Amino acid sequence: MQTPHAAPPIDFLPPHRESRAFRRARNRMLATILRQAMTHSRFRVSLVAFLTSLLWGCMFWMFADGFWFLESTITQPGMYAQAVGGVFSMFFLALLAMLLISSAIILYGSLFRSREAAYLLTTPARDERIFLHKFQEAIVLSSWGFMLLGSPILLSYGVVANAPWYYYAMLLPFVVAFVYIPVSIGSIICLWVVRRFPESRATLLVGGLILLAILAVWVGLGLLVGPRNDLLTPDWFQEILGRLRFSEQRLLPSWWLSMGLLASASGDWNESVLFLVLTVSNALFFRQYAVWTAGRSYRAAYSGLYGRSLRRRRSRRMFFDRGLFLLLRPFSAEMRLMMVKDMRLFRRDPLQWSQFLIFFGLLVIYFLNIQRFTYDISSISWVNMVSFLNLAVVGLLLSTFTTRFIYPTISLEGRRFWVLGLLGIERRSIVWGKFFFAVGGAILPCCGLVLLSDVMLKVSTWIIVSHQLTCVVLCLGLAGIAVGFGAWLPNFRADTPSRIAAGFGGTLTLVLSTLYILFVVLLTALPTHFYLATEYADLELSLQSPTGMKWWLVFWLVSGSAASLVLGAAATIVPLRIGFRAFERLEF
Amino acid sequence: MIEFENVTRAYANKVAVNGLTLRIPAGELFALLGPNGAGKTTTIKMLTGLLRPTRGTVRVCGVDLVRDVRRAVREIGYVPEEPFLYDKLSGREFLEFTAEMRGLNRAETASRIGRECEFFDLGDFIDDLSETYSHGMKQRLIFASAMLHDPTVLIVDEPMTGLDPRSTRTVKDRLRQRAADGATVFMSTHTLAIAEEIAERIGIMDHGQLHFLGTVGELQAELASTHTSLEPLFLELTSGNGQLGKNREHPLGIK
Repeated sequence: MQTPHAAPPIDFLPPHRESRAFRRARNRMLATILRQAMTHSRFRVSLVAFLTSLLWGCMFWMFADGFWFLESTITQPGMYAQAVGGVFSMFFLALLAMLLISSAIILYGSLFRSREAAYLLTTPARDERIFLHKFQEAIVLSSWGFMLLGSPILLSYGVVANAPWYYYAMLLPFVVAFVYIPVSIGSIICLWVVRRFPESRATLLVGGLILLAILAVWVGLGLLVGPRNDLLTPDWFQEILGRLRFSEQRLLPSWWLSMGLLASASGDWNESVLFLVLTVSNALFFRQYAVWTAGRSYRAAYSGLYGRSLRRRRSRRMFFDRGLFLLLRPFSAEMRLMMVKDMRLFRRDPLQWSQFLIFFGLLVIYFLNIQRFTYDISSISWVNMVSFLNLAVVGLLLSTFTTRFIYPTISLEGRRFWVLGLLGIERRSIVWGKFFFAVGGAILPCCGLVLLSDVMLKVSTWIIVSHQLTCVVLCLGLAGIAVGFGAWLPNFRADTPSRIAAGFGGTLTLVLSTLYILFVVLLTALPTHFYLATEYADLELSLQSPTGMKWWLVFWLVSGSAASLVLGAAATIVPLRIGFRAFERLEF
Repeated sequence: MIEFENVTRAYANKVAVNGLTLRIPAGELFALLGPNGAGKTTTIKMLTGLLRPTRGTVRVCGVDLVRDVRRAVREIGYVPEEPFLYDKLSGREFLEFTAEMRGLNRAETASRIGRECEFFDLGDFIDDLSETYSHGMKQRLIFASAMLHDPTVLIVDEPMTGLDPRSTRTVKDRLRQRAADGATVFMSTHTLAIAEEIAERIGIMDHGQLHFLGTVGELQAELASTHTSLEPLFLELTSGNGQLGKNREHPLGIK
């Protein structure tokens, strides 16, 4: 054994070199990702770029049209500026809340749950640097949605308002400074909660989210329910602006951003610079405060989190599983086992069922309150349109769930395929099991929601039947697309469902699911809409002749419904067949 | 040098490490053995600064890991059981990042990466992206990264997992060489044969307590057993029927 030797005299890396090391590593990773995307995923990149540009263009056109409409409709002096100010303040306030929540969640994942954080904490990197590294990622991850949603609004407003050049020049610094504030506050909350309440952080998070959801519903209902005055009259505008007043609190960064942008658009240089300086200085303060907090508490919070009580979660055989097993008696034993296993995994993953509950719960609240909105419930065509829109919304919501949770299930199965492989289960049974699980899980809540919407809208019985049938077709098709594509384009490298869903197969599944919903709903909604219009409109009498439009509409209605059934069958069978074939050939 | 001074780490009401007192001087290769759930991982996490002890002090080269974690961690090279690498960096880029973080200049970085490449035979894949590596390749790269700055203390958790016989030999040689160069090597393992082969002293931990500390020879002598290998001794010691720890004085004289 030798004598102890002294530590080599290496000075700590100065902050700027530490920062450079992280920056260089990140730039290298970014360059690799871009290079790989351009080499191996050109189609996916082009598709995403095309769809994003399309979405951006549509939003720009829609917002520009909206601003032009407001400008031409509101003739009272000063009211247009007030209306835009109200819209901006509300929009930015909503973004402020969303950025705060999303950054807190993102930073919790990256600072406390990632393997990278555990690795970095064993290096001599300063805690503040590790935090900043993750903080910058959170800024990018949290704000890309803001860029996508915010930029068409802000640019279209600049165009409509004929804003000077510095409006456009100030946009980026304004937006970046604004984003820093909620992300910094979100990170401080995240560090504080984990440091102080490592045991009950999840309860606090869920409680906070539920509180915010209730607040959002309350604000939404307050805005939409029962304005007393006629639509788009000056009094109506005043009433709505009055209801938005809470978003114009002087201490809210969203109000600073709103006022600063409006000032620069109207050519008020001094005021816009004042608000920019106010926003930037607050952004710098909160960022600095977040870094300081991380320096003091990150490592202690990390240690506290992993030092919390080790509760081994004991799983008990539940009556629910036994009941489900009995209920699935018509299926083969293998498929029943697979479905009960998938149900168990779903039940034990709060991420899945909590999102399911939140979004479906919000729709239930909306449908239950549908009669309180100012729709003209007596207008059949209006009610019919809203009922079909509700059907489409339920379908779109379901498509996000099938893409996010059902599509990745086969890929995740692949990682433990040796378990299934050694059991001698037919591969086809695995895919069928996933499909029936998805259909069974989707049909009950979706048909229930659509039924609720129809009952609240008081639509006729045959429309209810038609909607239920369409909903079943949607569930079958969406499950077929998600499971079939999941088996056709599995990703065994990614280890989390979100990563798998974000890949090419997931993107394709989402795009095709959306198109499928639009086609199915339009094929039945349009003829029904026109048919009902002829039933109740003044045109009725002129359309009574057998050779007239009515018979044409009946034909359209029947053929549209048949076409939607055919499309549903195709969307169910074709992807499943592709999936079966690919999955049977797959080598693990 | 590594020092645990009456260290206790509790997870709420469960004590994972209970009053651990242990001193491993420079130049020693120490192996910590124990069944699953014995407290080895908690011990290593405290040693790398990821967990703070509930009571007691952990020191690396005389530096308290709670008070000055950065200074202590600077002396450490750590090879975790499950290696972490950035998927989108090549092995060389990862080593360059580690070297830069450790304060090595460009010339030192190049020469040490060359040295470790040669030792761990990384040449064939060093410039490929890490996402394409097998477990063994990742493990070898992590070893190289832990050795880059010539750490005074080397902490290795299950070092041979996923390594082929040649790589296992390389790693064993490297650990011995580091200890011979004066570094403290702390190894946690389930592989008794490796502990037996290369460790100068072993510690056997169970239920958060160190039940034995000494050489294999001392262990055999103390049990007055005819066992010739560590395995039956280990099983006897961790079965709850062993004689060790009942009448024996603490290795450091602590009652």
